Amino acid sequence: MGSEQLVRRLPNDIGGDPAGKIEMIEHELLPWEKRCHALADVLDFHKIINTEEKRRGVEALGGEMIGKLSYYERWIVAFSNILFQKGVLTPGELAVKMKEVEARFTPNDGGHG
Amino acid sequence: MSDVDPHDHHHHDHDHDHAPISSDQPPGYYDIMETAVRELLIERKLFGADEIRRQIEVLDSRTPALGAKVVARAWTDPAFKERLLHNGRAACEELGITFYDDTELIVLENTPQVHNLIVCTLCSCYPRPVLGLPPDWYKLKPYRARAVYEPRAVLAEFGTTIAEEVEIRVSDSTAVVRYLVLPMRPAGTEDMNEEQLADLVTRDAMIGVVPVAYNREAA
Repeated sequence: MGSEQLVRRLPNDIGGDPAGKIEMIEHELLPWEKRCHALADVLDFHKIINTEEKRRGVEALGGEMIGKLSYYERWIVAFSNILFQKGVLTPGELAVKMKEVEARFTPNDGGHG
Repeated sequence: MSDVDPHDHHHHDHDHDHAPISSDQPPGYYDIMETAVRELLIERKLFGADEIRRQIEVLDSRTPALGAKVVARAWTDPAFKERLLHNGRAACEELGITFYDDTELIVLENTPQVHNLIVCTLCSCYPRPVLGLPPDWYKLKPYRARAVYEPRAVLAEFGTTIAEEVEIRVSDSTAVVRYLVLPMRPAGTEDMNEEQLADLVTRDAMIGVVPVAYNREAA
């Protein structure tokens, strides 16, 4: 098969690929997953990240991350990357904020935010 | 709970918290990331914290009961059905169902000649304003990959057999165009009212993977 297949089919475009049996599983969203979904909607309403950008952001994570992260884990990582690319946030700012959020839950810190 | 997360079925070694969730447990890495991103954007006044809370309420308010109401109305009101097939979104809005996103809704009618199935091969697009959030299997590879080339085999896994002479049409959703299947009204329901009919209509019937069943003996 020629290399033209590479431009005809992007990694997310799996329609028609061989695949196994359908596992009829479903789960109730975890609180953070629901917040992540609501965040996606609000980002879309404000034209910060639309659905198409989100999808491409997930695609840009590459096969290994897409395979290993859960559905909403991919979303939040994609959102972060897109916000960095758009200059809305920097990786440093996110790292500092994540440390701050994490510290709220460490017992010796005393503070539950 | 994380132990029924679809991706945990594939023996991955990511540092997911597999223990039961309780309030005294520290949040996981991606949970923290979500909180941090959200708070940073709120601090920058790109949106308000109230908007996230309101959207969670909107998401919670969307269940397949809304779609079932639309289907039952279409079964009992031919003029409504005509408007629904002409413009799905506008007809749903007539019933007070708001569309909180920028999506169009195309309603696909099942008939004795045609059976419709919906899928999103590219990600997980789904008629969320009328059905809520999709089940995990809709978002996973086997359904997305196979629905378009072997719909009869896929349907068989849901226990659905469609006669050979019936055409199966698979519609692939996009970010802006979503589909809802209008299933066939089952025989024996002639005396039922709209509310009773709505009770028969399941989420999976509106995705097109099963028909609407009515068992007169059990009713």
